[in-house]
Amino acid sequence: MSKASAFPYPVGTQAPNAKLAELLAALVNGLGGRIGRTTTDVDVTVPVDKLETLVRGLRERSALSFDMLRNVAGADLGDEGLALKYHFYSFKHGHCLQVTVALPPHQHPHAEVPTLTGLFPAADWHEREAAEMFGITFTGHPNLKNLLLEEDLHIHPLLKAHPLQVAELKQGIEDGPAGFTF
Amino acid sequence: MSIWPTERTLTADEATFDTVDMTINIGPQHPATHGVFRMVLTVDGELVVDCEPYIGYLHRGLEKLTETADYRQAMGWWDRTDYLAGMCCEWAYCLAVEKLSGIQVPERAEYIRVIMAELSRINSHFMFLGAFGADVGSFGTSFVYGWRERERIYDLFEEVAGDRMFPTYFKIGGVTMDLPENFESRCRWLLDSIRQGLEDLDGLLTGNEIFVERCRNLSPLTKDRAIALGITGPILRATGLPWDVRRAEPYGIYSRLDFEIPVGRQGDVFDRYFVRLAEMYQSVRIIEQCLKEMPKGGLVCATDLPKTLRIESGECYIRTEGTKGEYGVYAMAKGGNKPYRMKLRSPSFCNLSALREMVVGNYVADAIIILGSLDIVLGEVDK
Repeated sequence: MSKASAFPYPVGTQAPNAKLAELLAALVNGLGGRIGRTTTDVDVTVPVDKLETLVRGLRERSALSFDMLRNVAGADLGDEGLALKYHFYSFKHGHCLQVTVALPPHQHPHAEVPTLTGLFPAADWHEREAAEMFGITFTGHPNLKNLLLEEDLHIHPLLKAHPLQVAELKQGIEDGPAGFTF
Repeated sequence: MSIWPTERTLTADEATFDTVDMTINIGPQHPATHGVFRMVLTVDGELVVDCEPYIGYLHRGLEKLTETADYRQAMGWWDRTDYLAGMCCEWAYCLAVEKLSGIQVPERAEYIRVIMAELSRINSHFMFLGAFGADVGSFGTSFVYGWRERERIYDLFEEVAGDRMFPTYFKIGGVTMDLPENFESRCRWLLDSIRQGLEDLDGLLTGNEIFVERCRNLSPLTKDRAIALGITGPILRATGLPWDVRRAEPYGIYSRLDFEIPVGRQGDVFDRYFVRLAEMYQSVRIIEQCLKEMPKGGLVCATDLPKTLRIESGECYIRTEGTKGEYGVYAMAKGGNKPYRMKLRSPSFCNLSALREMVVGNYVADAIIILGSLDIVLGEVDK
Protein backbone atom coordinates (compact mmCIF):
# COMPACT_ATOMS: atom_id res chain seq x y z
CA MET A 1 0.00 0.00 0.00
CA SER A 2 2.38 2.61 1.22
CA LYS A 3 5.74 3.06 -0.36
CA ALA A 4 8.64 5.03 0.98
CA SER A 5 10.31 7.44 -1.35
CA ALA A 6 13.24 9.78 -1.43
CA PHE A 7 12.63 13.48 -1.14
CA PRO A 8 11.91 14.67 -4.69
CA TYR A 9 11.99 18.42 -4.16
CA PRO A 10 14.75 20.99 -3.81
CA VAL A 11 15.76 21.05 -0.16
CA GLY A 12 15.16 24.43 1.41
CA THR A 13 16.82 25.99 4.40
CA GLN A 14 15.57 27.97 7.33
CA ALA A 15 17.75 30.92 6.33
CA PRO A 16 17.17 33.80 3.90
CA ASN A 17 17.78 32.79 0.31
CA ALA A 18 19.75 35.37 -1.74
CA LYS A 19 18.68 33.81 -5.04
CA LEU A 20 15.03 34.19 -4.13
CA ALA A 21 15.57 37.89 -3.38
CA GLU A 22 16.94 38.36 -6.91
CA LEU A 23 14.00 36.53 -8.45
CA LEU A 24 11.58 38.72 -6.57
CA ALA A 25 13.17 42.04 -7.44
CA ALA A 26 11.33 42.66 -10.70
CA LEU A 27 7.91 41.87 -9.28
CA VAL A 28 8.34 43.74 -6.01
CA ASN A 29 9.94 46.91 -7.40
CA GLY A 30 7.07 47.29 -9.85
CA LEU A 31 4.64 47.35 -6.93
CA GLY A 32 6.52 49.87 -4.83
CA GLY A 33 7.48 47.28 -2.24
CA ARG A 34 10.85 46.58 -0.72
CA ILE A 35 12.81 43.44 -0.08
CA GLY A 36 14.41 42.79 3.27
CA ARG A 37 15.24 39.77 5.33
CA THR A 38 14.39 38.24 8.64
CA THR A 39 16.54 35.70 10.48
CA THR A 40 14.94 32.85 8.59
CA ASP A 41 13.36 34.22 5.43
CA VAL A 42 13.34 36.79 2.69
CA ASP A 43 10.80 39.44 3.56
CA VAL A 44 8.76 41.51 1.13
CA THR A 45 6.95 44.59 2.42
CA VAL A 46 4.16 45.97 0.24
CA PRO A 47 1.42 48.55 0.71
CA VAL A 48 -1.92 46.99 1.56
CA ASP A 49 -3.56 47.88 -1.77
CA LYS A 50 -0.84 45.96 -3.66
CA LEU A 51 -1.16 42.78 -1.61
CA GLU A 52 -3.47 40.94 -3.96
CA THR A 53 -1.42 41.81 -7.05
CA LEU A 54 1.74 40.67 -5.32
CA VAL A 55 0.27 37.40 -4.14
CA ARG A 56 -1.16 36.69 -7.58
CA GLY A 57 2.28 37.30 -9.04
CA LEU A 58 3.94 35.08 -6.46
CA ARG A 59 1.57 32.31 -7.29
CA GLU A 60 1.50 32.56 -11.07
CA ARG A 61 5.09 33.33 -12.09
CA SER A 62 6.70 29.98 -12.70
CA ALA A 63 10.07 31.11 -11.35
CA LEU A 64 8.31 31.73 -8.03
CA SER A 65 5.18 29.52 -7.97
CA PHE A 66 4.37 29.90 -4.29
CA ASP A 67 1.54 27.44 -3.90
CA MET A 68 1.01 27.11 -0.17
CA LEU A 69 0.01 29.69 2.41
CA ARG A 70 1.59 28.41 5.59
CA ASN A 71 0.76 31.00 8.13
CA VAL A 72 -0.75 34.40 8.74
CA ALA A 73 0.44 36.25 11.82
CA GLY A 74 -0.78 39.60 12.99
CA ALA A 75 1.36 41.85 15.14
CA ASP A 76 0.76 45.06 17.04
CA LEU A 77 3.82 47.28 16.56
CA GLY A 78 2.69 50.00 18.93
CA ASP A 79 3.19 53.46 17.43
CA GLU A 80 3.78 52.00 13.99
CA GLY A 81 0.32 50.45 13.92
CA LEU A 82 -0.43 46.87 13.03
CA ALA A 83 1.27 44.49 10.66
CA LEU A 84 0.33 41.26 9.00
CA LYS A 85 2.92 38.61 8.19
CA TYR A 86 2.07 36.05 5.54
CA HIS A 87 4.32 33.05 5.03
CA PHE A 88 4.28 31.33 1.67
CA TYR A 89 5.97 28.17 0.52
CA SER A 90 6.78 26.90 -2.94
CA PHE A 91 6.88 23.14 -3.30
CA LYS A 92 8.48 23.41 -6.72
CA HIS A 93 11.49 25.44 -5.61
CA GLY A 94 11.60 24.80 -1.87
CA HIS A 95 11.45 28.53 -1.15
CA CYS A 96 9.81 30.17 1.79
CA LEU A 97 8.84 33.82 1.78
CA GLN A 98 7.45 36.27 4.27
CA VAL A 99 5.16 39.03 3.03
CA THR A 100 4.64 41.94 5.38
CA VAL A 101 1.70 44.30 5.10
CA ALA A 102 1.99 47.36 7.30
CA LEU A 103 -1.24 48.90 8.57
CA PRO A 104 -0.34 52.38 9.85
CA PRO A 105 -2.06 53.63 13.02
CA HIS A 106 -4.44 55.99 11.24
CA GLN A 107 -6.14 52.96 9.72
CA HIS A 108 -6.68 51.33 13.05
CA PRO A 109 -9.17 50.30 14.46
CA HIS A 110 -10.78 49.99 11.07
CA ALA A 111 -7.84 48.52 9.20
CA GLU A 112 -9.04 46.79 6.08
CA VAL A 113 -7.10 44.15 4.22
CA PRO A 114 -8.32 42.27 1.15
CA THR A 115 -8.92 38.60 1.89
CA LEU A 116 -6.76 35.92 0.30
CA THR A 117 -9.36 33.19 0.65
CA GLY A 118 -10.07 33.33 -3.07
CA LEU A 119 -6.46 32.54 -3.96
CA PHE A 120 -5.59 30.36 -0.95
CA PRO A 121 -8.49 28.61 0.80
CA ALA A 122 -6.05 27.99 3.66
CA ALA A 123 -6.34 31.67 4.55
CA ASP A 124 -9.86 31.19 5.88
CA TRP A 125 -9.23 30.37 9.55
CA HIS A 126 -5.95 32.26 9.74
CA GLU A 127 -7.75 35.44 8.73
CA ARG A 128 -10.62 34.85 11.11
CA GLU A 129 -8.11 34.49 13.91
CA ALA A 130 -6.24 37.66 12.97
CA ALA A 131 -9.56 39.50 12.66
CA GLU A 132 -10.74 38.69 16.15
CA MET A 133 -7.34 39.06 17.79
CA PHE A 134 -6.43 42.41 16.21
CA GLY A 135 -9.69 43.89 14.95
CA ILE A 136 -8.65 43.78 11.31
CA THR A 137 -11.40 43.51 8.70
CA PHE A 138 -10.66 41.21 5.83
CA THR A 139 -12.81 42.55 3.03
CA GLY A 140 -14.45 39.86 0.97
CA HIS A 141 -13.99 37.11 3.55
CA PRO A 142 -17.01 34.79 3.37
CA ASN A 143 -17.46 34.12 7.07
CA LEU A 144 -15.65 36.59 9.28
CA LYS A 145 -17.03 35.72 12.69
CA ASN A 146 -15.19 34.91 15.88
CA LEU A 147 -13.28 31.66 15.81
CA LEU A 148 -11.42 31.17 19.08
CA LEU A 149 -13.22 33.76 21.17
CA GLU A 150 -16.84 33.70 22.20
CA GLU A 151 -19.19 34.59 19.40
CA ASP A 152 -20.52 37.79 20.96
CA LEU A 153 -17.25 38.93 22.52
CA HIS A 154 -15.94 41.91 20.58
CA ILE A 155 -12.54 42.43 22.12
CA HIS A 156 -9.15 42.17 20.45
CA PRO A 157 -6.90 40.53 23.02
CA LEU A 158 -3.59 40.57 21.17
CA LEU A 159 -3.52 44.34 20.83
CA LYS A 160 -0.86 45.70 23.18
CA ALA A 161 -3.41 48.13 24.61
CA HIS A 162 -5.48 45.22 25.82
CA PRO A 163 -4.49 44.21 29.35
CA LEU A 164 -4.94 40.59 30.33
CA GLN A 165 -7.58 41.30 32.92
CA VAL A 166 -10.08 43.23 30.81
CA ALA A 167 -11.20 40.22 28.89
CA GLU A 168 -12.08 38.43 32.11
CA LEU A 169 -13.96 41.41 33.52
CA LYS A 170 -16.02 41.67 30.37
CA GLN A 171 -16.99 38.06 30.73
CA GLY A 172 -18.23 38.71 34.25
CA ILE A 173 -15.31 37.13 36.08
CA GLU A 174 -14.68 39.98 38.47
CA ASP A 175 -12.29 38.58 41.05
CA GLY A 176 -9.17 40.18 39.65
CA PRO A 177 -6.23 41.23 41.81
CA ALA A 178 -6.93 43.86 44.49
CA GLY A 179 -6.46 47.42 43.39
CA PHE A 180 -6.97 46.70 39.73
CA THR A 181 -8.59 49.60 37.96
CA PHE A 182 -10.53 49.02 34.81
CA MET B 1 -60.99 -5.90 14.94
CA SER B 2 -57.30 -5.07 14.62
CA ILE B 3 -55.99 -1.88 16.11
CA TRP B 4 -53.41 -1.57 13.30
CA PRO B 5 -54.30 0.29 10.13
CA THR B 6 -54.64 -1.96 7.16
CA GLU B 7 -51.65 -2.06 4.83
CA ARG B 8 -51.96 -0.14 1.66
CA THR B 9 -49.65 1.28 -1.03
CA LEU B 10 -48.75 4.96 -0.78
CA THR B 11 -50.55 7.26 -3.15
CA ALA B 12 -48.48 9.21 -5.67
CA ASP B 13 -48.77 12.34 -3.53
CA GLU B 14 -47.60 10.62 -0.41
CA ALA B 15 -44.66 8.89 -2.13
CA THR B 16 -43.04 12.14 -3.27
CA PHE B 17 -42.86 13.81 0.12
CA ASP B 18 -40.24 16.46 0.77
CA THR B 19 -37.46 15.68 3.22
CA VAL B 20 -36.38 18.27 5.72
CA ASP B 21 -32.74 18.79 6.62
CA MET B 22 -32.01 18.13 10.23
CA THR B 23 -29.35 19.75 12.37
CA ILE B 24 -27.27 17.60 14.67
CA ASN B 25 -24.96 19.08 17.24
CA ILE B 26 -21.96 16.94 18.16
CA GLY B 27 -19.86 18.06 21.10
CA PRO B 28 -18.28 19.93 22.76
CA GLN B 29 -18.45 17.17 25.40
CA HIS B 30 -18.52 14.12 23.21
CA PRO B 31 -15.97 11.31 23.21
CA ALA B 32 -15.88 11.14 19.42
CA THR B 33 -14.63 14.71 19.11
CA HIS B 34 -11.36 13.87 20.92
CA GLY B 35 -11.52 16.86 23.21
CA VAL B 36 -13.67 19.92 23.51
CA PHE B 37 -14.65 20.43 19.91
CA ARG B 38 -18.11 21.03 18.54
CA MET B 39 -19.40 20.47 15.06
CA VAL B 40 -22.88 21.20 13.83
CA LEU B 41 -23.88 18.83 11.07
CA THR B 42 -26.80 19.45 8.76
CA VAL B 43 -28.01 16.09 7.56
CA ASP B 44 -30.39 14.92 4.88
CA GLY B 45 -31.28 11.48 6.15
CA GLU B 46 -27.90 9.87 6.69
CA LEU B 47 -25.98 12.21 4.40
CA VAL B 48 -24.11 15.22 5.69
CA VAL B 49 -24.91 18.28 3.60
CA ASP B 50 -23.17 20.88 5.73
CA CYS B 51 -20.75 20.97 8.62
CA GLU B 52 -19.78 23.92 10.73
CA PRO B 53 -16.90 23.36 13.16
CA TYR B 54 -16.73 25.44 16.33
CA ILE B 55 -13.45 25.68 18.18
CA GLY B 56 -12.04 27.78 21.00
CA TYR B 57 -13.33 25.87 24.02
CA LEU B 58 -9.75 25.29 25.15
CA HIS B 59 -8.44 28.73 24.23
CA ARG B 60 -6.03 29.76 26.96
CA GLY B 61 -4.55 32.82 25.31
CA LEU B 62 -1.15 31.20 24.82
CA GLU B 63 0.17 33.97 22.60
CA LYS B 64 -0.93 36.75 24.94
CA LEU B 65 0.50 34.92 27.96
CA THR B 66 3.80 34.38 26.19
CA GLU B 67 4.14 38.15 25.75
CA THR B 68 3.93 38.57 29.52
CA ALA B 69 6.59 36.07 30.55
CA ASP B 70 10.36 35.75 30.45
CA TYR B 71 11.76 33.77 27.52
CA ARG B 72 12.45 30.82 29.81
CA GLN B 73 9.20 30.99 31.76
CA ALA B 74 7.00 30.95 28.69
CA MET B 75 8.27 27.54 27.66
CA GLY B 76 6.03 25.73 30.14
CA TRP B 77 2.94 26.84 28.26
CA TRP B 78 4.17 25.71 24.92
CA ASP B 79 4.32 22.02 25.68
CA ARG B 80 0.66 22.27 26.64
CA THR B 81 -0.25 22.97 23.02
CA ASP B 82 0.26 19.55 21.50
CA TYR B 83 0.04 17.81 24.84
CA LEU B 84 0.58 14.36 23.35
CA ALA B 85 4.03 15.35 22.16
CA GLY B 86 5.09 18.12 24.49
CA MET B 87 8.74 17.91 23.59
CA CYS B 88 8.16 18.55 19.88
CA CYS B 89 6.50 21.83 20.85
CA GLU B 90 9.26 22.75 23.27
CA TRP B 91 11.74 22.18 20.52
CA ALA B 92 10.00 24.56 18.13
CA TYR B 93 9.82 27.23 20.83
CA CYS B 94 13.50 26.78 21.73
CA LEU B 95 14.53 26.89 18.08
CA ALA B 96 12.75 30.20 17.61
CA VAL B 97 14.44 31.79 20.62
CA GLU B 98 17.82 30.28 19.72
CA LYS B 99 17.50 31.55 16.17
CA LEU B 100 16.80 35.08 17.35
CA SER B 101 19.52 35.13 20.00
CA GLY B 102 22.14 33.15 18.08
CA ILE B 103 22.67 30.62 20.87
CA GLN B 104 24.39 27.43 19.70
CA VAL B 105 23.29 24.03 20.95
CA PRO B 106 25.96 21.42 21.86
CA GLU B 107 26.24 18.31 19.73
CA ARG B 108 25.04 15.88 22.39
CA ALA B 109 21.98 17.98 23.14
CA GLU B 110 21.02 17.92 19.45
CA TYR B 111 20.96 14.12 19.53
CA ILE B 112 19.02 14.04 22.79
CA ARG B 113 16.49 16.42 21.29
CA VAL B 114 15.94 14.22 18.26
CA ILE B 115 15.53 11.11 20.42
CA MET B 116 12.99 12.83 22.66
CA ALA B 117 11.07 14.40 19.80
CA GLU B 118 10.83 11.10 17.93
CA LEU B 119 9.70 9.27 21.06
CA SER B 120 7.05 11.96 21.45
CA ARG B 121 5.99 11.42 17.86
CA ILE B 122 5.65 7.69 18.45
CA ASN B 123 3.71 8.42 21.61
CA SER B 124 1.30 10.72 19.80
CA HIS B 125 0.80 8.29 16.93
CA PHE B 126 0.07 5.46 19.38
CA MET B 127 -2.64 7.67 20.78
CA PHE B 128 -3.98 8.10 17.27
CA LEU B 129 -3.92 4.40 16.49
CA GLY B 130 -5.69 3.56 19.73
CA ALA B 131 -8.33 6.24 19.48
CA PHE B 132 -8.88 5.79 15.77
CA GLY B 133 -9.35 2.06 16.22
CA ALA B 134 -11.97 2.85 18.85
CA ASP B 135 -13.67 5.34 16.49
CA VAL B 136 -13.98 2.71 13.82
CA GLY B 137 -15.27 0.06 16.18
CA SER B 138 -12.42 -1.90 17.70
CA PHE B 139 -13.71 -0.84 21.05
CA GLY B 140 -11.05 -1.07 23.72
CA THR B 141 -8.50 -3.45 22.27
CA SER B 142 -6.61 -0.96 20.14
CA PHE B 143 -6.70 1.50 23.03
CA VAL B 144 -5.10 -1.01 25.37
CA TYR B 145 -2.39 -1.93 22.86
CA GLY B 146 -1.61 1.74 22.28
CA TRP B 147 -1.68 2.60 25.96
CA ARG B 148 0.68 -0.21 26.92
CA GLU B 149 3.44 1.34 24.80
CA ARG B 150 2.60 4.91 25.71
CA GLU B 151 2.89 4.03 29.37
CA ARG B 152 6.40 2.70 28.77
CA ILE B 153 7.39 5.80 26.81
CA TYR B 154 6.07 8.00 29.61
CA ASP B 155 8.01 5.94 32.13
CA LEU B 156 11.19 6.70 30.20
CA PHE B 157 10.28 10.39 30.01
CA GLU B 158 9.84 10.40 33.75
CA GLU B 159 13.26 8.87 34.25
CA VAL B 160 14.88 11.37 31.92
CA ALA B 161 13.01 14.58 32.63
CA GLY B 162 11.12 14.04 35.87
CA ASP B 163 7.72 14.45 34.31
CA ARG B 164 5.56 12.44 31.99
CA MET B 165 3.30 14.62 29.89
CA PHE B 166 4.73 18.13 30.27
CA PRO B 167 8.40 17.54 30.90
CA THR B 168 9.75 21.06 30.10
CA TYR B 169 12.92 19.13 29.43
CA PHE B 170 14.23 21.25 26.58
CA LYS B 171 15.87 24.48 27.50
CA ILE B 172 17.06 27.42 25.48
CA GLY B 173 20.57 26.32 24.55
CA GLY B 174 20.15 22.59 25.04
CA VAL B 175 18.32 20.36 27.47
CA THR B 176 17.96 20.73 31.23
CA MET B 177 19.91 17.65 32.33
CA ASP B 178 21.91 14.78 30.93
CA LEU B 179 20.41 11.38 30.30
CA PRO B 180 20.44 8.85 33.15
CA GLU B 181 23.21 6.24 33.11
CA ASN B 182 21.21 3.27 31.90
CA PHE B 183 19.41 5.28 29.24
CA GLU B 184 20.76 3.50 26.19
CA SER B 185 19.82 0.01 27.33
CA ARG B 186 16.43 1.23 28.59
CA CYS B 187 15.77 2.97 25.30
CA ARG B 188 16.73 -0.07 23.23
CA TRP B 189 14.41 -2.22 25.30
CA LEU B 190 11.68 0.37 24.74
CA LEU B 191 12.24 0.37 20.98
CA ASP B 192 11.83 -3.42 20.89
CA SER B 193 8.66 -3.06 22.87
CA ILE B 194 7.40 -0.35 20.48
CA ARG B 195 8.09 -2.59 17.50
CA GLN B 196 6.11 -5.36 19.12
CA GLY B 197 3.29 -2.94 19.87
CA LEU B 198 3.24 -1.75 16.29
CA GLU B 199 3.05 -5.28 15.03
CA ASP B 200 0.17 -6.01 17.39
CA LEU B 201 -1.74 -2.96 16.24
CA ASP B 202 -0.91 -3.60 12.60
CA GLY B 203 -2.31 -7.11 12.95
CA LEU B 204 -5.35 -5.95 14.84
CA LEU B 205 -6.33 -3.09 12.53
CA THR B 206 -4.70 -3.53 9.12
CA GLY B 207 -5.38 -7.25 9.36
CA ASN B 208 -9.05 -6.65 10.01
CA GLU B 209 -11.15 -6.63 6.90
CA ILE B 210 -13.99 -4.69 8.51
CA PHE B 211 -11.59 -1.94 9.50
CA VAL B 212 -10.00 -1.78 6.07
CA GLU B 213 -13.29 -1.78 4.21
CA ARG B 214 -14.60 0.91 6.48
CA CYS B 215 -11.66 3.24 5.84
CA ARG B 216 -10.70 2.60 2.27
CA ASN B 217 -11.92 5.10 -0.35
CA LEU B 218 -13.45 7.23 2.36
CA SER B 219 -13.00 10.97 1.81
CA PRO B 220 -10.10 10.84 -0.66
CA LEU B 221 -8.08 14.00 -1.08
CA THR B 222 -5.89 15.12 -3.99
CA LYS B 223 -2.44 16.62 -3.59
CA ASP B 224 -3.37 19.97 -5.06
CA ARG B 225 -6.42 20.35 -2.90
CA ALA B 226 -4.49 19.40 0.21
CA ILE B 227 -1.87 22.05 -0.56
CA ALA B 228 -4.54 24.67 -1.25
CA LEU B 229 -6.20 23.93 2.07
CA GLY B 230 -2.89 24.25 3.90
CA ILE B 231 -2.87 20.64 5.04
CA THR B 232 0.49 19.29 6.19
CA GLY B 233 1.84 16.25 7.97
CA PRO B 234 0.62 12.68 7.58
CA ILE B 235 -2.59 13.79 5.86
CA LEU B 236 -0.61 15.55 3.14
CA ARG B 237 1.73 12.59 2.81
CA ALA B 238 -1.26 10.26 2.51
CA THR B 239 -2.15 12.03 -0.74
CA GLY B 240 1.14 10.81 -2.18
CA LEU B 241 3.28 13.90 -1.64
CA PRO B 242 6.44 12.97 0.27
CA TRP B 243 6.80 16.32 2.02
CA ASP B 244 8.15 16.45 5.50
CA VAL B 245 9.73 19.51 7.13
CA ARG B 246 12.48 17.30 8.52
CA ARG B 247 13.55 16.73 4.93
CA ALA B 248 12.28 19.81 3.11
CA GLU B 249 13.72 22.42 5.46
CA PRO B 250 15.90 20.45 7.87
CA TYR B 251 16.42 21.66 11.41
CA GLY B 252 18.44 20.19 14.25
CA ILE B 253 20.52 17.30 12.92
CA TYR B 254 17.88 15.71 10.70
CA SER B 255 19.93 16.33 7.57
CA ARG B 256 22.49 13.80 8.87
CA LEU B 257 19.98 11.07 9.61
CA ASP B 258 18.80 8.45 7.24
CA PHE B 259 15.06 7.88 7.11
CA GLU B 260 12.33 7.56 4.56
CA ILE B 261 9.07 9.40 4.09
CA PRO B 262 6.14 6.99 3.82
CA VAL B 263 3.42 8.14 1.45
CA GLY B 264 -0.08 6.96 0.64
CA ARG B 265 -1.77 6.71 -2.70
CA GLN B 266 -5.08 8.56 -2.70
CA GLY B 267 -5.30 10.44 0.57
CA ASP B 268 -8.27 8.50 1.92
CA VAL B 269 -8.80 7.67 5.57
CA PHE B 270 -6.99 4.36 5.30
CA ASP B 271 -3.90 6.02 3.82
CA ARG B 272 -3.86 8.55 6.64
CA TYR B 273 -3.89 5.69 9.11
CA PHE B 274 -1.28 3.67 7.30
CA VAL B 275 1.12 6.56 6.74
CA ARG B 276 1.20 7.17 10.48
CA LEU B 277 1.84 3.52 11.18
CA ALA B 278 4.72 3.44 8.69
CA GLU B 279 6.09 6.70 10.02
CA MET B 280 6.48 5.20 13.49
CA TYR B 281 8.85 2.53 12.16
CA GLN B 282 10.93 5.34 10.65
CA SER B 283 10.98 7.15 13.98
CA VAL B 284 12.31 3.99 15.61
CA ARG B 285 14.99 3.90 12.93
CA ILE B 286 15.94 7.51 13.63
CA ILE B 287 16.26 6.87 17.35
CA GLU B 288 18.45 3.83 16.76
CA GLN B 289 20.80 5.90 14.60
CA CYS B 290 20.96 8.59 17.25
CA LEU B 291 21.78 6.09 19.99
CA LYS B 292 24.60 4.78 17.85
CA GLU B 293 26.07 8.08 16.70
CA MET B 294 25.51 10.18 19.79
CA PRO B 295 28.66 11.56 21.47
CA LYS B 296 29.03 9.57 24.69
CA GLY B 297 29.84 12.53 26.85
CA GLY B 298 29.99 16.27 26.74
CA LEU B 299 27.80 19.22 27.44
CA VAL B 300 24.05 19.06 27.10
CA CYS B 301 23.51 22.80 27.33
CA ALA B 302 25.33 25.89 26.14
CA THR B 303 27.49 27.34 28.90
CA ASP B 304 27.61 30.96 27.83
CA LEU B 305 23.95 31.67 28.52
CA PRO B 306 23.22 35.04 30.10
CA LYS B 307 21.41 35.11 33.41
CA THR B 308 18.57 37.01 31.85
CA LEU B 309 18.13 36.46 28.18
CA ARG B 310 17.50 39.70 26.31
CA ILE B 311 17.09 39.88 22.56
CA GLU B 312 17.55 43.23 20.86
CA SER B 313 15.48 42.78 17.76
CA GLY B 314 14.67 40.35 15.04
CA GLU B 315 11.96 38.17 13.65
CA CYS B 316 11.88 34.62 12.40
CA TYR B 317 9.48 31.94 11.29
CA ILE B 318 10.64 28.55 12.53
CA ARG B 319 8.98 25.46 11.14
CA THR B 320 9.35 22.01 12.54
CA GLU B 321 7.64 18.73 11.78
CA GLY B 322 5.26 18.36 14.68
CA THR B 323 3.35 15.14 15.07
CA LYS B 324 0.37 16.48 13.14
CA GLY B 325 2.18 18.47 10.51
CA GLU B 326 4.10 21.70 10.19
CA TYR B 327 4.43 23.19 13.66
CA GLY B 328 5.57 26.74 12.99
CA VAL B 329 6.50 29.49 15.38
CA TYR B 330 6.61 33.08 14.24
CA ALA B 331 8.64 35.10 16.74
CA MET B 332 9.38 38.78 16.95
CA ALA B 333 11.74 40.37 19.48
CA LYS B 334 12.00 44.06 20.23
CA GLY B 335 14.39 44.27 23.13
CA GLY B 336 13.73 43.27 26.71
CA ASN B 337 13.53 39.86 28.28
CA LYS B 338 10.10 38.95 26.93
CA PRO B 339 9.02 37.91 23.45
CA TYR B 340 7.31 40.82 21.71
CA ARG B 341 5.08 38.57 19.67
CA MET B 342 4.91 34.83 19.21
CA LYS B 343 2.48 33.18 16.87
CA LEU B 344 1.87 29.49 16.74
CA ARG B 345 1.05 27.97 13.39
CA SER B 346 -0.49 24.81 14.65
CA PRO B 347 -0.90 21.93 12.24
CA SER B 348 -4.13 20.65 13.80
CA PHE B 349 -5.71 24.09 13.39
CA CYS B 350 -4.96 24.16 9.66
CA ASN B 351 -5.90 20.53 9.10
CA LEU B 352 -9.16 20.96 10.98
CA SER B 353 -10.13 23.97 8.85
CA ALA B 354 -10.53 21.53 5.97
CA LEU B 355 -12.99 19.36 7.91
CA ARG B 356 -16.09 20.78 6.24
CA GLU B 357 -14.85 19.92 2.80
CA MET B 358 -13.92 16.38 3.82
CA VAL B 359 -17.13 15.60 5.65
CA VAL B 360 -19.80 16.99 3.30
CA GLY B 361 -21.28 14.29 1.11
CA ASN B 362 -20.44 11.45 3.48
CA TYR B 363 -22.55 9.59 6.02
CA VAL B 364 -22.88 10.79 9.60
CA ALA B 365 -21.13 7.69 10.91
CA ASP B 366 -18.24 8.34 8.54
CA ALA B 367 -17.98 11.97 9.64
CA ILE B 368 -16.78 10.67 13.01
CA ILE B 369 -14.13 8.54 11.36
CA ILE B 370 -12.98 11.36 9.11
CA LEU B 371 -12.62 13.62 12.14
CA GLY B 372 -10.68 10.85 13.87
CA SER B 373 -8.38 10.46 10.87
CA LEU B 374 -7.38 14.13 11.13
CA ASP B 375 -5.85 13.34 14.53
CA ILE B 376 -6.48 16.73 16.06
CA VAL B 377 -5.26 17.82 19.45
CA LEU B 378 -7.49 20.54 20.79
CA GLY B 379 -4.77 22.06 22.93
CA GLU B 380 -3.00 22.89 19.72
CA VAL B 381 -6.07 23.97 17.76
CA ASP B 382 -7.29 26.38 20.42
CA LYS B 383 -3.90 27.59 21.67
